[in-house]
Amino acid sequence: MTSIVWQRRRAAVGSTWRDFTRDRGGLIGLVVLGAVVVLALLAPLVTDPAALDVTKAAGERWQPPSGEYWFGTDHTGRSVLLLTWWGSRISLLVGLTATVLSVMIGTLVGITAAHFGGWPSAGLMWVTSFFLVLPSLVLAIALSSVLPRGIWTIVLAIAVTSWASTARLVRAQTLSVEARPYIERARVLGGGHAHVIGRHVLPAVLPLVFVNTTLTVANAIVAEATLSFLGLGDPAAVSWGSMLRAANLHGAVSQRAWWFLLPPGLGVVVVVLTFTLVGRALETVLNPRLRGDR
Amino acid sequence: MTAPPLAESSPRRGGGVLRHVAGKLGGALAGLAGVVVLGFFLFRLIPGDPTVTMTRGRQVDEAQIAELRALHGYDRPIVEQFGQYVGGLLHGDMGTSLFYRRTVAELIAERVWPTLLLVGTSTLIAVTLGLWLGIRGAWRRDSPFDRASTGVALVGWAMPAFWLGMLLSMATGNLFPSGGMRFSNTPPDFWSQALDVAHHMVLPCLTLIAVVYAQYQLVMRSSLLEEMNADYLTTARAKGLRDDQVRRRHAVPNALLPTVTLVFLHIGLVVTGAITVETVFSWPGLGLLTYEALAGPDLPLLQGTFVVLAGSVIVMNVLADLLYQVLDPRVRAS
Amino acid sequence: MGTIRRVASIVGAVGLAASSLAPSAQAQQPVTLRVAIVQQVDSLNPFLATYQASTEVGRLMYDYLTAYDAKDQRPVEALAKSWEKSADNLTWTFTVPDGKKWSDDQPITAGDVAFTYNLMMTDKEAATANGSFVAGFESVTAPDDRTVVIKTRAPQASMLALDVPIVPEHVWKGVGKIADYKNDTPPVVGSGPFVLSEYRANEFIKLKANKNYWRGAPKYDELHFVYYKTVDAAVQALDRGELDLVNRMGPAQFDSLKGKSGITLNKAQGRRFNELVLNSGAATRTGEPIGDGHPALKDVRVRRAVAKAIDQDAIIARVNGGYAERGTGPIPPVFPDFHLTPETVRPFDPAAANTELDQAGYPRGADGTRVGPDGTPLRFRLIGHTSRAYDEQAGEYVKGSLADVGIAVDVQLVADTLLDEYGVAGKFDLIFSGWGTNPDPDFILSLHTCDARPASPTATGTTDSFFCDATYDELYRQQGAELDPAKRSELVKRMQQRFYDEVPAIILGHDNALEAYRNDTFASFTIQPDPGGVIMAQNGVWGYYGAVPVAASTGSSGPKGLLVAGAVVVVLLVGGGVWLLARRRGATAGDRE
Repeated sequence: MTSIVWQRRRAAVGSTWRDFTRDRGGLIGLVVLGAVVVLALLAPLVTDPAALDVTKAAGERWQPPSGEYWFGTDHTGRSVLLLTWWGSRISLLVGLTATVLSVMIGTLVGITAAHFGGWPSAGLMWVTSFFLVLPSLVLAIALSSVLPRGIWTIVLAIAVTSWASTARLVRAQTLSVEARPYIERARVLGGGHAHVIGRHVLPAVLPLVFVNTTLTVANAIVAEATLSFLGLGDPAAVSWGSMLRAANLHGAVSQRAWWFLLPPGLGVVVVVLTFTLVGRALETVLNPRLRGDR
Repeated sequence: MTAPPLAESSPRRGGGVLRHVAGKLGGALAGLAGVVVLGFFLFRLIPGDPTVTMTRGRQVDEAQIAELRALHGYDRPIVEQFGQYVGGLLHGDMGTSLFYRRTVAELIAERVWPTLLLVGTSTLIAVTLGLWLGIRGAWRRDSPFDRASTGVALVGWAMPAFWLGMLLSMATGNLFPSGGMRFSNTPPDFWSQALDVAHHMVLPCLTLIAVVYAQYQLVMRSSLLEEMNADYLTTARAKGLRDDQVRRRHAVPNALLPTVTLVFLHIGLVVTGAITVETVFSWPGLGLLTYEALAGPDLPLLQGTFVVLAGSVIVMNVLADLLYQVLDPRVRAS
Repeated sequence: MGTIRRVASIVGAVGLAASSLAPSAQAQQPVTLRVAIVQQVDSLNPFLATYQASTEVGRLMYDYLTAYDAKDQRPVEALAKSWEKSADNLTWTFTVPDGKKWSDDQPITAGDVAFTYNLMMTDKEAATANGSFVAGFESVTAPDDRTVVIKTRAPQASMLALDVPIVPEHVWKGVGKIADYKNDTPPVVGSGPFVLSEYRANEFIKLKANKNYWRGAPKYDELHFVYYKTVDAAVQALDRGELDLVNRMGPAQFDSLKGKSGITLNKAQGRRFNELVLNSGAATRTGEPIGDGHPALKDVRVRRAVAKAIDQDAIIARVNGGYAERGTGPIPPVFPDFHLTPETVRPFDPAAANTELDQAGYPRGADGTRVGPDGTPLRFRLIGHTSRAYDEQAGEYVKGSLADVGIAVDVQLVADTLLDEYGVAGKFDLIFSGWGTNPDPDFILSLHTCDARPASPTATGTTDSFFCDATYDELYRQQGAELDPAKRSELVKRMQQRFYDEVPAIILGHDNALEAYRNDTFASFTIQPDPGGVIMAQNGVWGYYGAVPVAASTGSSGPKGLLVAGAVVVVLLVGGGVWLLARRRGATAGDRE
């Protein structure tokens, strides 16, 4: 690629960023999200994971918040603050990897279906619409009850059940891009499938995919919490969902142990909300139809 | 798991009505077939031999195990088992639950009504609330009301339903029953029973409404905003109609379409929300049955609930399409 | 303004309706004991019901031939008032006295008893649940209405512990296929203290007092078993006065009820234990090895070291919340005649365990994990149930404890079906298990005999541990034939000592049974055994039968609930009215714009 192209792209990114910063909700979301991610990454450096081991738990069981345990303790005497902190890592990890996987599948299917046409495309579209209407949690439950318990099972279950909307979106966008005259020109000039897709379709589709990704992450994180809550998560890993499961299982409600319920749930809400805010802001910026509206 | 609150779903337009309907029905049938196939092969993957579970703790020799396998058809080739399963499904036979030791069809039939009641009531209220807030928000765009209600909706949408349920249960103290659908000692007359069920339904309903109404509100808001920029509204205004008349007679009915369709499209999502809400509130519906089946896992039961839940969502989608057909003059005309 | 008046009148009408309903409902409330039921009921047909909850309900509807005393669990009168056995111990004669009646006023006769047993001996389906009790019977006859004669093929120690519900012949002879008979539609003719009045699967089972019960009718009108999906939900319901009695509570739930007014707690000695089974060499009855257990666990020195390294007290304190008793043999302290108090209690001593493992030839490898003589590292798989919180937590303790003695543990929590498969096929090194025990120790002891192992690699056995030890088996044979209680008790204790020394499994703890009831509705319950016993899950129905309601008890929450429901409806209506008005006002404002 020539430097002019790069310059143009850089300028485009710059103007997108300027547009984005004008959306206050999106900006706040981004800042909070950044803080959460940094905290999650810092956890092993700042805290000692040994305190997550139930056999080494030092505190009293079900202790309300105090100076020593800011968020109180759980049913085994571990610090809820520490659990929530470490739980953010699994929740974010699962949410992000599942999304990346899901968006990859979706983009691949969407572009393939739009670009190549014919009966493979029809078949792909049928599969897409099938997955689109299938209640995703029900399928995810089925999948994760079939596969061995673990983080990657959850990732797979979420990805396999959530790619369809991305695929439909990408297909529509690809179709509209490929209808443009310059694609026709590129084809006439001898550009193969790889050239057309790599140079023209992908760059045009990617912004949309990016928006879609942020919104999918929000879904994936709720999905992770839900599956873990239903007991389908990795029993050895602490995530927000598994904490809520433990709270439900060991009687946090009858104990009125609000300190065990609030932090993991709020964690989910904050992260999902920030992703949604960022996604909506990006959408306004990147989707020309909505931008004109704004 | 809910879809992002974005409006971007509207069925394809154009083509002969009959052809469209036939195509939709065909697609739905294929979808149902897909669910049936998936339901069968997916659950065959579960590790563990069901006959071992059935004979746990009993002294059983090889001959008896073989007999048991033959009885449940586990000894036959997979294709034949599949044939039997499909044949059974057509007769409403979904096998026998391993743990309840009753037929799956019976268990599901028992649990359908509570779920319909819960999901139906919450959807009705959530749609009403969502539409009203959406219309108001769009009309007074960027007003404090619009900002606040959009914010609240987004927060509600971000909450895991089961978490909100547990919080509500804890926060309301003794005001509402802790779970279940009715007390055992309520007098049997209709009004007492109805009041008792309503009393039990308040918290699960509230929880479900809080997490689902957002999508209706956001979609209504954005599709109304879109309508308001449409040319015909300008024309209508130019004809001298007052703003609120324009709104009520033209913009709102047109914007309602995608939202109403969405109600049906999202029934599946409400149903999945019901799984966790029913679990938290011990509401004796299909969602709770699914959760209970997970514990074993109770393979035939899980398979049955999967087929029924997924199948009903597919049926709902066809209904949505057909409804769109009937309601949208643009589609009807073509 | 018209709208406001209309809304107000609707609200008023509904409010009136709700408030008029409540008192009338209160006036006709029968005195009811509401009990939480958390487990499944598989069937109300006594020939098919195998789950504990089902047999407990079945017991309330049908008496057995004999019962267990509330105080010390000795055999006492039920349908049979007296019994004697022949000199060769093969023929038993039971007398069913005159005057006992079924709930439909028909007399209970020896013929009913003979009919029930014979049905189970001839109809395979009728033997589903309790067939094992009659498996050794030669014949059962009723020479007259008052006498039952049972001939057995060999002397049978359990003849006064025949846990078989006796059904009325005049009803059941008309039942065609036993397996298809649900027996859940009233009237269900029975002989127990209660009869079925309504069954709603997964919601509740309602029973009402049987006025014909031969001991005299219970002191209250109705007994309701109400389904709760989790114990936690049941505990909340008890706290709110929606329930009167809850059992099977977890430590946290039990503690949360401490000091609450209106609630009495009952911490009882339980009959359940949790154990950690060590794969000491899974094999079939013929000795053919099966599964893939770790070779080091065949070495009794390793098993003993493992037992010494595990901090059982910490598990009881942390996982059981202190509500368990330290385990020795399988038989819990609640049965003092058979419970083992070892001569020397094995201490928690990781240092000793380390030394012993060093001496036994399992030196530590480079990574700190010990290595066996054949070069395989001591890395054990520990299998547990995903569905059980106990396994999850105790697994961490076992892992942590064994790490301190150089044994690596890989905790795998799997679905119950998969766990069963691993357990039956011997595909484990360590596995969590647990059992409930009966007053008669025979069954629980039989789980560790050589004959309990599967007949072939693909068959299923009843063995719990694949343990096979000549000394243990010989003692087992002796105790089965020993009719002198004191000598039998001695033999049973020696068996458990052998079990304790050979460590095919480590009994981690005998759980306390944690129960609670509302003392503002029910004043007292009969416990079994007394003292220290349980109200629910007894060997009998004393807890429910002997419950004494608080005099003038009207403290049931039904009416209160109704009032709140009424209030909610009113609030919703008012809210709706206000909303409608607001909308109209809004619309007018819009018009003015």
